[in-house]
Amino acid sequence: MATFVFRNHTVEPFLGYEGMTYSGYDDISVVPHDVDRYIWLYQVPVNADVQQLAQEVESYCGKLDLVLNSADERKPFIIFSMVDLARLRLTGADTALQEAIMGFNSHVAQLSRQRSNVKWVDLEEFTSRYGTDVLINWKFYLMSQTLLNPKLASDFHIWWSRIQDQLDLKRKKCLVLDLDNTLWGGVLGEDGPDGIQLGGDYPGKAYTIWQRSLLQLTRQGVILAVCSKNNLDDVLEAWNANPAMVLKQEHFAAMRINWLDKASNLQSMAEELNIGLDSMVFVDDNPAERELIKQLLPQVEVPDFPDKPYLLMPFYRDLVERFFRAYVVTDEDRSKTEQYRANALRHAEQAHFADLESYLYSLDIELDIMPADEHNLPRIAQMTQKTNQFNLTTRRYTQDQLRQFIDQGWMIYCVNVSDRFGDSGITGTICLKPVDDLTLHIDSLLLSCRVLGKGIEEAFVKTVFNLLRLDGYRRITADYLPTAKNGQTADFYDRMGMACSTTDAEGAKHYQLSLDSVYQVNNCYNIKVK
Amino acid sequence: MNLNDKVLEIMREVFEMDTVSTDASQKNCPKWDSLHHLTLASELEDAFDIELEPEEIAEMTDFSRVIAMLESKVK
Repeated sequence: MATFVFRNHTVEPFLGYEGMTYSGYDDISVVPHDVDRYIWLYQVPVNADVQQLAQEVESYCGKLDLVLNSADERKPFIIFSMVDLARLRLTGADTALQEAIMGFNSHVAQLSRQRSNVKWVDLEEFTSRYGTDVLINWKFYLMSQTLLNPKLASDFHIWWSRIQDQLDLKRKKCLVLDLDNTLWGGVLGEDGPDGIQLGGDYPGKAYTIWQRSLLQLTRQGVILAVCSKNNLDDVLEAWNANPAMVLKQEHFAAMRINWLDKASNLQSMAEELNIGLDSMVFVDDNPAERELIKQLLPQVEVPDFPDKPYLLMPFYRDLVERFFRAYVVTDEDRSKTEQYRANALRHAEQAHFADLESYLYSLDIELDIMPADEHNLPRIAQMTQKTNQFNLTTRRYTQDQLRQFIDQGWMIYCVNVSDRFGDSGITGTICLKPVDDLTLHIDSLLLSCRVLGKGIEEAFVKTVFNLLRLDGYRRITADYLPTAKNGQTADFYDRMGMACSTTDAEGAKHYQLSLDSVYQVNNCYNIKVK
Repeated sequence: MNLNDKVLEIMREVFEMDTVSTDASQKNCPKWDSLHHLTLASELEDAFDIELEPEEIAEMTDFSRVIAMLESKVK
């Protein structure tokens, strides 16, 4: 990825060399367009005249605005916040510089709300780990203008690559938790539901804060699950009877409270939740259990667990930073727990009906099909990043890439699915690339696993084909590219009546279809096209 | 690992090159520019737990001078 960096100091050791082009120091005269993204990393210069320095920092806001106005607004523009590294203060009461820095940082925060390509990165999150004498190495600064100590470069690389994953919306989906000595102190089977350490003073207090923090995580779209060697009745009693309990049964999307080995439990939970093992993080206080999972299920992330309850908060912060933080949390994310619960209700309902069709009718399924726009683009990008199972080609895209495709004439649609149990949100997308005036190629087609099993994929694709036919298109080509996870889609296009022209050695299949007639869509769906 | 090998390993890492030979110098090695030189100095300081003065860093213009410098520091 070609990146252009605006900077006022030497930052190469931190951002690297490969694919990077750097501006001159504080030089905004060149704003190239032939790059994939921009980075702005300005640091507070070293100057003992604090007033002058404050003015200098204030001037960066205007410079940044100039650059943003001439940069390609479809390309991501990443802006680092400013941090006063040197902390040269002549008088304690002089706050001009801090105010200028705060002014710059709030200006950036505002820009990131106004412009969808602007993303801001809080540099202080990195620098706050160190003291001033570590942050700056005056020898290297004076030799080469590196304000941030080059000895911190390798730590910075780790932090920066996580931040970039967050910007690309890559994160884990599910946190699997043990109970005894993990969600509370003590052992339920020995101490009883009221004897466990939870609530009140330390150490119970530490577990309360930890549980409350985990509850916040569910509001950010992370799914919680339980895997514990316990008697189910004891746990249910503790959940119901212990007034200090924050996380209860309804907060967990899946539970395995039994005496089976945890690797098998994790595997069956992944199947039940329809997620990959590689989107799971396993937290357990018992090193033997952690080792078992590391050995048998290397795809699962297994962080070390702190050995003191007062270390749970830094552990939580680390957990979020490493696995669960997303730059943008969508509305679909926020209501994920409700959606999983609604799904459980739907399954219960399904058992009452003799055949699938009458069950589908009873659901009052509504499909809203709409073209991609600025509002749904973040969600479409997120789905391309996260969907593995019903995904015909598994191509990962960022918002900005999708925006470029639209500019190049691609047709991108998404579908919002709801029924009488609730709104599942935008859960499917199809991206079609123009081949010629009459032909489109399906570059990507995917549906979130939580709406599968109701024939929605067929109704969605058929409706889109009918729309394209009205638009004058006559031919569709498509590929199925096999991965370890998308086996269930291997014959999807066959089921859609498309002709398979070739199958290559890796199992990829290529299809084509003539849009001769209108597709009949099962009328158990209420379909609206926007 | 002897001193030569250890320094060559650090250089390979800093310059992101598969091979670095003992006659490498700032003149014949394009990756050995002023910025990589700085990273090299910083890495050598950490690896051998020494402090290099700016004047000393400026003198280490080729592999043999790096070794000579380290030998004078690491007794």
